[in-house]
Amino acid sequence: MSAPVTTGTGADTARPPQRRVDPARWVRDNLFPTPFNSVLTLVFAPLVVWATWRFARFLVVSARWEIVETNLTLYVVGGFPREQLWRLWLALTILAAVFGLLGGVVGVTAREAAVAAGRTTATTRWDRLARLGPPALLLLVLLGFSRTFTPLLLTGAVVAIGLSLSLVARRIPAALRRAVPLITVAGVVVSLYSISSFGGVPRDEWGGLLITMYYTIGALVVSYPVGILFALGRRSSLPMVRWVCGAYVEFFRGSPLITLLFTGWLVLPFFLPADFPTPTLVTRALIIFILFTSAYVAEIVRGGLQAVGRGQWEAAQALGLSPWKQTRLIVLPQALRAVIPGLVGQAISLFKDTTLVLIIGQQDLLAIAQNVTKQDEFLGQGYIIESLVFVGIVYWVASYWLSKESQRLEVRLGVGQR
Amino acid sequence: MKRSIRIASVALAAGLVLSACASDEEATDAADPAAPEETVTVDPAQTEGGLLAAVQERGTLICGVSQGLPGFSIQGDDGTYTGFDVDYCRAVAAAVLGDADAVDFVELSASARFTALQAGEIDVLIRNTTWTATRDRNEGGSFAATTFYDGQGMMVDTDSGFDTIDDMANTTICVQAGTTTQLNLESQFAARGLPYTALTFEGNDQLQAAYFEGRCDGWTSDLSQLAAFRGTWPDEQGGAESVKILPDVISKEPLGPLTSDGDSEWFDVVQWVVFATFQAEEFGISSANVDSIVASTNPDEEPAIGRFLGLVDGFDPGLGLSPDWAVNVISQVGNYEEIFLRNVGPDTPLGLSRGVNSLWTDGGLLYAPPFR
Repeated sequence: MSAPVTTGTGADTARPPQRRVDPARWVRDNLFPTPFNSVLTLVFAPLVVWATWRFARFLVVSARWEIVETNLTLYVVGGFPREQLWRLWLALTILAAVFGLLGGVVGVTAREAAVAAGRTTATTRWDRLARLGPPALLLLVLLGFSRTFTPLLLTGAVVAIGLSLSLVARRIPAALRRAVPLITVAGVVVSLYSISSFGGVPRDEWGGLLITMYYTIGALVVSYPVGILFALGRRSSLPMVRWVCGAYVEFFRGSPLITLLFTGWLVLPFFLPADFPTPTLVTRALIIFILFTSAYVAEIVRGGLQAVGRGQWEAAQALGLSPWKQTRLIVLPQALRAVIPGLVGQAISLFKDTTLVLIIGQQDLLAIAQNVTKQDEFLGQGYIIESLVFVGIVYWVASYWLSKESQRLEVRLGVGQR
Repeated sequence: MKRSIRIASVALAAGLVLSACASDEEATDAADPAAPEETVTVDPAQTEGGLLAAVQERGTLICGVSQGLPGFSIQGDDGTYTGFDVDYCRAVAAAVLGDADAVDFVELSASARFTALQAGEIDVLIRNTTWTATRDRNEGGSFAATTFYDGQGMMVDTDSGFDTIDDMANTTICVQAGTTTQLNLESQFAARGLPYTALTFEGNDQLQAAYFEGRCDGWTSDLSQLAAFRGTWPDEQGGAESVKILPDVISKEPLGPLTSDGDSEWFDVVQWVVFATFQAEEFGISSANVDSIVASTNPDEEPAIGRFLGLVDGFDPGLGLSPDWAVNVISQVGNYEEIFLRNVGPDTPLGLSRGVNSLWTDGGLLYAPPFR
């Protein structure tokens, strides 16, 4: 993936003249430049068209989406008690509100900083709109199968709350902005509690997309900071720290995730003392995902650390920075910037790896996709194809969203340009 | 601002971790006051029949079922479970807790089921598991009873010309991987001296797709499953009439619940719950009439029914259950006939007749020891 080529960021450099693209010329240059490429085009173009046509036809015409329509709630929340669904909407509303607030504050602060530095803001209205594309597509995929308008209306309300709060956030006085991150944290905690506590639904009863997201986000949020610590530890000058971190990374990177999950599920309780409360299955699985992912993150970050030249450390030392500040202010920002694709790749990989909880008796999105075909009305009719295609699209759109956001981040941080 | 974002992300991470741990414990405490006891079940010798007390204290039964098996364990679009095995989970919960809905279902793969039982992750395993000597002895569990007598059969195209398995030399047989079904296939065809090719699949969905493509001459599985897929055979593939199940039954598959070894009190509870469903049918007591029978029965005139329904003062089999446990099972779940007809009977996709799964009084194999 190549970053867009620009000629510099200074105000004095003019943009190159826009080249007019002549369609006929574009076809000649790109599709039929040489006899060999012409043959390739002639072979593969019909193939691509045919495959696209067949797939589109399947999606629109021949697929029997009743199985998804009937079971939409099951796909999204699994066995979550239906009379408790209001808790999820409440949690979503809280999350939309606090993240709307945070997004608005981050946006307006960045814009003010840019103006103060004499830069024009790089994002246009269109950029901001395009950014909403993948999440909107995800909502469309999910809500498009709803048979009632209630989810659509509720989602609309939740989104409206988020967006309006992001507008409100722009008017917040600068002095109060500092409180917003804390409000966000509080909101996340409150929303989690509102689902599982106060007579709510313990996490062992969550399922479907809900449990998939819980594992993914929970493991991401914890394992990335932990992974960075392990990466730093592996480069520590203290031999003990280095060995422990190295052993940790090598152990978890060298064990198959499926083995670790089985261990956490079935073997761990044997080792805990009898009066020690065994964490619930969901918590154990989450811990395994965290342990596994942090080992990979540690290696990715270590790669980034090695890419930062020795001169950077020396320059930081020459400035009189403490070792901690050298790492935090000079080295780590450069190292992390260099490994964004790897980090996002690991996040996407984790998102898809959560399907392995199927083998420890958890009802995640993929497990439900396979189970619904056993219901009386769908049994033996080959509905597995529709079910898997639906789930595949959900996974793809969500991964695409992550990937798009990471590209945006790369452009903003100027990766590949400086 | 960058600083506050950084603080926010660190705080967010910390908050999530804390809330994950804290609310988890709280949720566990609220729903599950006996959480520590779960680990106690790991060593049954220590507990001396602790599982019954643990389940009663916890207030829910954790029941291991299969990952979507037509007629036996299916999750409906509202998230609730139905099926033959599921009903037996509910029956145990009704007897032990007085509430047939107080069950947490854990879907287990064939390979993980016994380990889950040993590790105490589930209280009882009701996952269409075939009772064999090796499993009874070596897998750390004990089969309490047989709830369903199945057998392995063979399904072929109606116009294939095969009338018995002996006709099927040099054919391709499709079978689900890693099951006793596959082993039975091998030994049966070897014993009959029939050369064949086995094509194995991960699940029945994939196997059926291969059958539609004409890659299989025969499909071997438990008869109940073959019946389920035959009953719902798609019309564009010719409907149910286009395939037939051969008369040969190549194996015995007695299916039933297992409890962990070493807890005989809990084993007895599960066993007698199964017997209660047999006995209720034998007495003609169903969920529809159980209340009126309880009201109208004079224990002195009908002592057998009286003892069964807990109406005889001073009679307690010592199972550690409330006297009316059988009434709870029958009123909330039903007798064997109701469970059978509801899940696998003629009005379901499986469309099975009772066959050997009839009471001994009707020439079947279901026989409950006397309640006295």
